[in-house]
Amino acid sequence: MTTTVPETLATTRTGSPGRRRGVRRPAGLPWILPALLFSAGLLYYCIGYTGYISTLDWDGAAPIQQQVGAENFVRMVQDPVFWGALRNTAIFFVVTFSVQVALGIVFASLLHSRLWFKTFYKVLIFIPVVLATATAAPVFRQIYAPDGALNELLGAVGLAGLQQTWLANGAFALAIVITVQIWHSTGVVFVLYYAAIGQIEPEVVEAARIDGAGDLRILVSIVWPGVRGTTIAIAILSAIGSLKTFDVPFLITSGGPSYATEFLGTMIYRVSVAFSDVGYGAALSVVLLLLALVAAIIINVGGRRGER
Amino acid sequence: MRFSTVRKTTLSAVAGVVLASTVLTACGGSPENSDGGSATAGTVNWWSWTPDNDLAAREIAAFNEQYPDIEVIYKKVPSDNYAAVLKPALASDDGPDVFTVNASGSYSAEAFAAYSYDLTPDVEELLGTDWESKVYQGGVDAFTVDDRLVAAQWAKVGAGIMWINKDVFDQYGLTPPTTMDEWVQVCETFRSAGLGCFREGMAGSSGFIVDTVHSIADSVETGAFQAAVTGEAEWTAPSIVEALGLLRELSENGVLDEGSVGIQQYPDVNNAFLTGQVPMVQMGTWYQQYATVNSLTAALDGAGVPADTPKITIVPIPFPDVAGSGNPSTMFADPDAGQAVNVKSKNRNAAVTFALWLGHTQEGQQVVANNMDSFPTLNGVTPAFDEIEFVDPDVQLPELQKVSEQLGQASDARSLGISAELNQAIIDAAQAMVNSDTSPEDAAAAIQKVADAR
Repeated sequence: MTTTVPETLATTRTGSPGRRRGVRRPAGLPWILPALLFSAGLLYYCIGYTGYISTLDWDGAAPIQQQVGAENFVRMVQDPVFWGALRNTAIFFVVTFSVQVALGIVFASLLHSRLWFKTFYKVLIFIPVVLATATAAPVFRQIYAPDGALNELLGAVGLAGLQQTWLANGAFALAIVITVQIWHSTGVVFVLYYAAIGQIEPEVVEAARIDGAGDLRILVSIVWPGVRGTTIAIAILSAIGSLKTFDVPFLITSGGPSYATEFLGTMIYRVSVAFSDVGYGAALSVVLLLLALVAAIIINVGGRRGER
Repeated sequence: MRFSTVRKTTLSAVAGVVLASTVLTACGGSPENSDGGSATAGTVNWWSWTPDNDLAAREIAAFNEQYPDIEVIYKKVPSDNYAAVLKPALASDDGPDVFTVNASGSYSAEAFAAYSYDLTPDVEELLGTDWESKVYQGGVDAFTVDDRLVAAQWAKVGAGIMWINKDVFDQYGLTPPTTMDEWVQVCETFRSAGLGCFREGMAGSSGFIVDTVHSIADSVETGAFQAAVTGEAEWTAPSIVEALGLLRELSENGVLDEGSVGIQQYPDVNNAFLTGQVPMVQMGTWYQQYATVNSLTAALDGAGVPADTPKITIVPIPFPDVAGSGNPSTMFADPDAGQAVNVKSKNRNAAVTFALWLGHTQEGQQVVANNMDSFPTLNGVTPAFDEIEFVDPDVQLPELQKVSEQLGQASDARSLGISAELNQAIIDAAQAMVNSDTSPEDAAAAIQKVADAR
């Protein structure tokens, strides 16, 4: 059997004799140039422009833009709502990541074993991912309302003493936001783990079983290390997602009560839109971007060190 | 045909630059349309947070009787999201032709003045050079920015009153409370019957609780709240501190329903009241529309309740004298809204026709008045009560007429002069009173801090 190398690839590999010693220009440059310009023009221009706006006292519409230097960043450091939003983000990340990873890996492992109605369970787990938060939020508001479904249920089963004004209590409100997020995105984590577990050699699992390992031992000693790369990717996505969290708290609690469910995303919206304080909102956006980058780098580097 | 590598690279680069330039150019605005089109034909897109769809439909239908060739398409946007939706729309070339602005707050006339067409020549042509004497002066002041009339006022609104479900009060043989003690007793009766009592939604950034704080402060000392807004007094003044303490008392003595900081005035409280679950709310004059059969039916339909749900008889009452100081209940009024015309509108002249018809003609203002949503701002226009179907006219009409008279005497502004930040600070303080151990003094100091910062 003969294999023919496409002409373009052959040229790329060998190059023309006359250009071999000259400046090497990547052959794909003309093809990526439009996309490169598009990205640079839009994405990086927007980031740069946001950075510029963060040095202004500006309402976003007025022709007058007053340069204030780093004043918006100083305000941020002195703003207790900002620190509260960061604390909420940290709690949100730790809890959602931990619970989603636990649920995702358990669901994925179970659905790799012998079960009836596997497809049904997969659909059931994934359905919340495709439901729009705007659609689900009113349902959750009704469930947790003072005269909502949860309190009615508690009353009906003789647990009226546990009835609460759930969304009016800061701790409960944050817990509700977190549980809604877990409900909403565990399906994605499950799919990633399901695919990752499928990559583990069945012979390894079989050998462990022959050596006498039980299900839990296999999960801890073979599956968990085997999906390490996926866990790191999920951690990065969760960290960035936590920093950008907006829709769930905005639609269910509006960031309240008393900023108990305020996140950077809701704060940026409130400051930029309701207060028309676009300069301060831009400063918060810059910090959000930096935190996302730092989080991604730390998790990535930490993950690589762990591999060694 | 074959291109050389260099030519291909050059072409790709040029194409990329052109593409990027096109995208970036699209971010910018376009110059004002100089023509503006016909004043009596065309399509006008109108965006607003008020009125409700059924009321807007009536206003548009009446407008089309005079201007059948102007199609008005109304889009109602929730007030919490209005500024966020409007800003990018106006920055583009495809924004609404007419957009409603408020007298203050995040979607005030001042905030959107840069996008608004100056209506001064048109209103002078319609009503004469002395037009200001023919309309509500508060609206003229609110919607004039840098000597440009950036919006045509169309209604004014008042707050400071309470609304009760008269049917439920009658059912339990109760009369509206006038003091704190009476209010507590009334609420005890309702709660023992498994009902709510006074429900208020404090979640979000809507400032309905600000009205309540205003009413309580005026109960302590008439004019105290307005003095703090204008800077004549500090927010840490004893009367404001006492008002915040009284709000906490309302929460602790069973008058205010539990969970208020976790619910919103719209839709939570509104729906609970109109469907008979809650007997008392604090809403403004815009709520009188639900005394009419048509608007109440539409509201119940919007709330998703069965069509045979009984229609409640809502009646306005004065805010109780919770401080026990003998001060009368007060009303505070603002220009409700004004219609601004998008300076980039391709149908600008038709848009101007609609905006001015609604607020500055007898026909337009009569529809606004009869909708019972807001009070007309063109002098001499009053609701034609005999043309309006009320749920219980014998009970409701006398009380509504009292409110109308009281509104005419209102001296305090409702939200004029209260910035979005100050509004939020008052909401935060109110939430702290019902949801934390923060002292009234500390809560008042936090409001003052925000007031000082601006």
